[in-house]
Amino acid sequence: MKKYIFIITALLMVSCERFLVEKPKSEQSLDQFFQSAGEGRSFVNTLYKSGATGFYDPGGFTGSIVMMGGYISGLFDNEAKGERIEPLRAQNLSFNAQNMSEYLDRWWSSAYSAIAIANTAIKYIPNIPGIPDVEKNQLLAEAKFFRAFNYFFLVKNFGGVPLVTEPYFNTEGIYVDRAQIGEVYNLIVEDLEWAVNQGNLSNNNFVTNNFRITKGSASALLADVYLQMSGYPLRIESNYAKAAAITKSIINSGSYQLIQNGALPEKSAYNVMRTSDKESEYVFSIEFDPVIYGVSSPSVSLPGSIRPPGLKYSRTYNAYRPTDQYIELYDETKDLRVQNQQLFFKSVDVQGEHFEFGEYAPYLFYDTVALYETARGGQDMRVYRYAEMLLIAAEAIAFTEGVTQEAVKYLTDVRARAYWNTSRNVIEDQLSVLDKEAFIKEVWKERYRELALDYRLWSDIQRTRLYPVGSAGGNVNFVDVVGHTNPWGATYQEHHLLYPISDNEIQRNPKLEQNPGY
Amino acid sequence: MEKLTRFSYFLVLCLFAWSSSYAQKKTVSGKVSELESGKPIPGANIIVKGTTAGVATGSAGEYTIVLPDGAEVLIFSSVGYTSREITVNGRSVIDVTLEAYVQSLKETIVVGYGVQRRSEVTGSVSVVSGRELEEHPGFNALQSLRGKVSGVKISTNSGSPTGSNRVVIRGIGTINASTNPLYIVDGVALDNIETMNPNDIQSIEVLKDASATAIYGSRGANGVILVTTKRGGTENGLRLEYNGDFSMGRLARKIDVMNAKEFMEVQRIGYENAPIFKNYAPGQEPVIDLSDRRIFDAQGNPLYDTDWQEEATRTALTHNHQLSIRSKGESGAFGAFLNYTDAEGIYLNSWTKRASVKLVYDVSLAKWLSLGTNTTITKTWANNVSETGGGFHASRAITEVPPIFPVKWPDGTWSNSTEISGFTFEGQPNPVHRLLEEDNLVNGTRLFGNLFLDFKLASYLQFRSQVGINNYLSEDRYYAPTDMITVGFPDGYARISNGKQTYWQNENYFTYAREFGSHRLNGVLGASWQQNLASGNAMSARGFTNDFFNFNNIGAASTQNPSTSYANDWSMNSYFSRATYTYKDRYTATFSGRMDGSSRFGKNNKYGFFPSGGVSWLVSNEEFMRNVKAIDHLRLRASFGVTGNTEIGLYRSLATIGSGTTLIGGQRVARSFAQRLPNSDLEWERTRQFDGGIEVTMFNQTLLLEADYYSKLTYNLILNRPIPTSTGFGSITDNIGSVSNKGIDLKLTTRNINTENLTWSTTLNFNYNKNRIESLGLNNEDIFPGPNWVAGSQTILRVGEPVNSFWGYERAGVWGSDEAEEAAKVGAIPGEAKRSTKKTIIGKGIPDVTGGLFNRFNIGRFDALIDLQVSLGADIMQQFLATAEDRQGLTNGISTQLYDAWASDKQNTMVQQIRHTVLSGQNLQPDTRWICDGSYIRGNLFSVGYNFGQRMLATMGLSQLRASLSLENAFVIHSKDFKGYDPESSTWHGDNFGQNIFFYEYPKARTLTFGINVRFK
Repeated sequence: MKKYIFIITALLMVSCERFLVEKPKSEQSLDQFFQSAGEGRSFVNTLYKSGATGFYDPGGFTGSIVMMGGYISGLFDNEAKGERIEPLRAQNLSFNAQNMSEYLDRWWSSAYSAIAIANTAIKYIPNIPGIPDVEKNQLLAEAKFFRAFNYFFLVKNFGGVPLVTEPYFNTEGIYVDRAQIGEVYNLIVEDLEWAVNQGNLSNNNFVTNNFRITKGSASALLADVYLQMSGYPLRIESNYAKAAAITKSIINSGSYQLIQNGALPEKSAYNVMRTSDKESEYVFSIEFDPVIYGVSSPSVSLPGSIRPPGLKYSRTYNAYRPTDQYIELYDETKDLRVQNQQLFFKSVDVQGEHFEFGEYAPYLFYDTVALYETARGGQDMRVYRYAEMLLIAAEAIAFTEGVTQEAVKYLTDVRARAYWNTSRNVIEDQLSVLDKEAFIKEVWKERYRELALDYRLWSDIQRTRLYPVGSAGGNVNFVDVVGHTNPWGATYQEHHLLYPISDNEIQRNPKLEQNPGY
Repeated sequence: MEKLTRFSYFLVLCLFAWSSSYAQKKTVSGKVSELESGKPIPGANIIVKGTTAGVATGSAGEYTIVLPDGAEVLIFSSVGYTSREITVNGRSVIDVTLEAYVQSLKETIVVGYGVQRRSEVTGSVSVVSGRELEEHPGFNALQSLRGKVSGVKISTNSGSPTGSNRVVIRGIGTINASTNPLYIVDGVALDNIETMNPNDIQSIEVLKDASATAIYGSRGANGVILVTTKRGGTENGLRLEYNGDFSMGRLARKIDVMNAKEFMEVQRIGYENAPIFKNYAPGQEPVIDLSDRRIFDAQGNPLYDTDWQEEATRTALTHNHQLSIRSKGESGAFGAFLNYTDAEGIYLNSWTKRASVKLVYDVSLAKWLSLGTNTTITKTWANNVSETGGGFHASRAITEVPPIFPVKWPDGTWSNSTEISGFTFEGQPNPVHRLLEEDNLVNGTRLFGNLFLDFKLASYLQFRSQVGINNYLSEDRYYAPTDMITVGFPDGYARISNGKQTYWQNENYFTYAREFGSHRLNGVLGASWQQNLASGNAMSARGFTNDFFNFNNIGAASTQNPSTSYANDWSMNSYFSRATYTYKDRYTATFSGRMDGSSRFGKNNKYGFFPSGGVSWLVSNEEFMRNVKAIDHLRLRASFGVTGNTEIGLYRSLATIGSGTTLIGGQRVARSFAQRLPNSDLEWERTRQFDGGIEVTMFNQTLLLEADYYSKLTYNLILNRPIPTSTGFGSITDNIGSVSNKGIDLKLTTRNINTENLTWSTTLNFNYNKNRIESLGLNNEDIFPGPNWVAGSQTILRVGEPVNSFWGYERAGVWGSDEAEEAAKVGAIPGEAKRSTKKTIIGKGIPDVTGGLFNRFNIGRFDALIDLQVSLGADIMQQFLATAEDRQGLTNGISTQLYDAWASDKQNTMVQQIRHTVLSGQNLQPDTRWICDGSYIRGNLFSVGYNFGQRMLATMGLSQLRASLSLENAFVIHSKDFKGYDPESSTWHGDNFGQNIFFYEYPKARTLTFGINVRFK
């Protein structure tokens, strides 16, 4: 017996190769993936909440990343800037490659992570066995849309960034030089033109398309891209014509409309935007849901000094306060948008109690269900609205064709909705007589007023290099941004129009060159 | 020490000159024998204390000594035995037994896969006996081990009874892999020993250097803690023993939180200062509103002054029972060890309980075959109160909830900090409410055991086959009620999660031990298989109409979160060997090594080999040492070897697709994404370690010194190496970079007094460690590993600096009234913190020196212990100062915000001007104001015991009865700049670099324990 027991146990000393093979169970391996259309779709689905779309949630004391443009312009303030210093550094223009590095790292890593997902989708989806062409093209169009959306964010804010279009599977070729600004824009335009023309995207409205990218969404982004390319730093003015054409196609598609005012003031178009996520004005929005994917915007809608009864949040603060200088861009007597409880508010009544803030706060985020019932925000963040398409069209048409009736109509559509006690004809008449330059400046003014919470302010300053200076009655002067001193006493230099490349990123990729001035 | 030195000189003198005795009158005779065996000790020395007179025993251990006038005390000593002082007391015959000195030559200690003679161990191994562990009453074996082994830093980072301890052996030598040592209990690997019954432990051996740990190869780099548990009876018959202790703990130290009056004063000044920070139209300045009659009386004075530290804590009562039944018969030995412990934390409703049964059976089945088995079933229950302050946990709320709120309103409902009109405070549930009504019940069941067969193949050759298992089931149940603001409010939240872990191992090895004349050879050769299978699931929901169901009917909630599940496994296959050769009991060489294969690594690098070698020279056995009487034992050791670390996440070498859900079109839809940049070459992290040691025992075991110098270099770090983010991945897990740890371990024991009725010994365990990052990624990029908090990562990894370096600004002071212009350039005004413009390294969380000083006394039937612990050179990042001092008005805080605040007539201070956050914002950044020196001396344990005498025991039918009283955490001496509860803490559990960084810790208790030990006949 001794012998047998010993032999049996001694056998256990023999090796077995398969014992050490790793077989993940809760994760799939890449070579088993992209076998079905559903797998391709799930990859593209990730993009809806990746990278630059994530820059819209205003959570955290810093405010959202898209709010940084407002802070750097000095025209918006964040009450919590003493706790997270980035907004303060932006207002003071005291940011540099070191003291903003960790914050800027997040921008890059999020945007490029989305770009990598898009690159992987674009590479593998065409090879999915048996995928129908229509579905394949739609998924590719969505992936290209998001790749463009992320590169557009990067190129506007950092200039020529490394242009990566293929996914990585190892460390070969990871050190990529900065591309020219034009090269980045070329990829963006190529992706979006493909999406619009070959992407088999739906012609329906974004909302009725179940919040998936439509042809209109891709066109809207493309229009914005053309507009930005027309101005600084590229100044390819031929793009105005393209912007005009693509916005006209959106307008003429009939899929999108402006929300019309109901009974004022509570049922104004701006209050509808606050309370409803399903409107045909929305060309592309980032979806949120109180249960599935919450948003923190309600918590930044009320100044911290206000605590109405029944508030369900532990703390609120005013993360995007328009300064007096910004409010001066509006005609306070005529413009509905600057009236209390439209885009902004400065007082509120809750359970019969009246609260005066002594400052403006973003009323668009004031979600009473979240604030007083559930403590969970679900309001969508709008990226492109039809109103902006009208304004792009007005500007682009005026530039290429002159102050045509069409251009006047589009600008009037937007302005007349806000000027509730001014007749449309009066506005139209005032605009029709303007020369091209004056008309375009009227469009710009309208953009500041209408798109205040769509975060177009800094992009407009970047492309026009002009800074809006308001005075009583909504008069706005445009002055050169370089050399201008903002409300916080900081004077812009040319380099402030781009952010620095984070020092950490330069350590990681020695091929990167810093932007001039940092 | 002076006394010791004099005593030692005296002894040396005696040893060299004992023959020169002179004429006497009275004689004493007797016999000197060994305590254990009763065998006579020839050649033992007997000296008359205070003289040079002495004799030696004859071959039968007999002696006769003539006493000089007035001589009262004799000293008996012999090499290899502990010497004794005996008072003559008029006796003429005195028979003396000497206890063999513990480090006797043949003494063996447990090493990996077997035992070795201590004198032949070439590695650095520290032994702690079960008795030493039992000196410290407690729930957790690691807490009992604290300070007892030099080079083993055990940080008890919280006062929670379920709090985890962090163990780091000889410095942190890794960045992204675990820093935990490998625990081997009776030959079977165990993830941690925190829930193990400390009373089951017979001894703990800590393997520190490569020669000792290389036999554990790829898992040895962080050191190995070998635990040997108690086995069955050693004497024929039945032995029954009971140990019990009962303890009371109280909050050891309160922090200086403002009372209602001070809090309202800050509010008042905050309102008064508001116009400094913001322009108000004349007459529009904010005015304090004291009209809420729930809170203020008609004069505006607060009605309540609640001391939350008092209300939320209690006297924690703990009782602990241990019963052991051991027997030995003809062919086998049996043991049963039962334990029940009920431990309370000082926070209300913070508790844990443990019941465990351990059964041991050892039997000889045949002449050539024996079997041993050992099974422990441990069940633990706990209400796990958070050890962090983030998320408004009790640890934060006891400082931050304003004292002007009552615990409960007159109508019986719980108060919270939002229930006041006229003020906006940060919404937090009050800590008493949170502690009493939030459930976080954690149950664990562990089945741990092993079975081995020993085949005696020849007198010198044995084969062992052992199977071990560790099966752990956990169930966490959580409920936050509907009325608990920010936590469960408004509609409750319930969660249940279950985890299952099954680990098995099979190890088979030959043991060889043979002597040939002056040569002795020992060897081990074997193979090992290990596999771990883990899986789990969780469900959660919110939306309860009331609190009736708690977590018992999750389906009743209106909003169901997606349920989750996971499964993963890893496996290892290894071959190991050790050979030790000793010549003439003087020269020893050991080679050991292990070949490890692990599933975690890249397909190109599945197997790794980890060799080590060590030599030892027992100098005291040399001929030329025979006449050096002062030295009883002297041994020199040196070793060098390579060990590894595999403790990284699973599947790091593979390209995998992660999956989940996201929101599109108002629905949850599937999403998937690439997890990482794969690295199929990924392999072990390696640590190269040199160790040089000396062991010396002098003056008849009066002085024992063991000292080691070590130099460790961990290279091929498994590092999440930063790569350009333009790849879409921030990092790749790669083998690159290195970290070094160099230092000294020292253990010094002196037996200061050694008489019949009084003994006093002192042991010092000391470690000095210097940690340095030698290289990082390809470009030596800085890495910001977290913990992430205000302003990003609180630590930085930078070449040339130690790990755990704090990252923040320097605060030079506060901008003065005459510096307004300069302050404006950085957007500040006088009264705000004056900080550097760039972040820099502002401290470090790991100490240079750690140590324990133990003084043990025996006075007649009393014994006593004084255990002091020291840590020097670390800093503390007091994150709680962000909200307790820098941010004012929004919550309560510490009193410095009132008394030390800047004011125009108080320019020279570090504390900023009082500023009401909700009116005027705040200014806070991690800076040097948060940093203080973290050095401390702790009165870790004072205890005294009494052993009842034989006569008393006889009448009670007992063989032993001991009662003891101990005081744990009696005092802590620390920097006066430290504002928290305890300088050794972390609220970043599980973070490699979170040590000494905390945002409101679970405070520690000062605990008084009464213990009893009874051994029945």
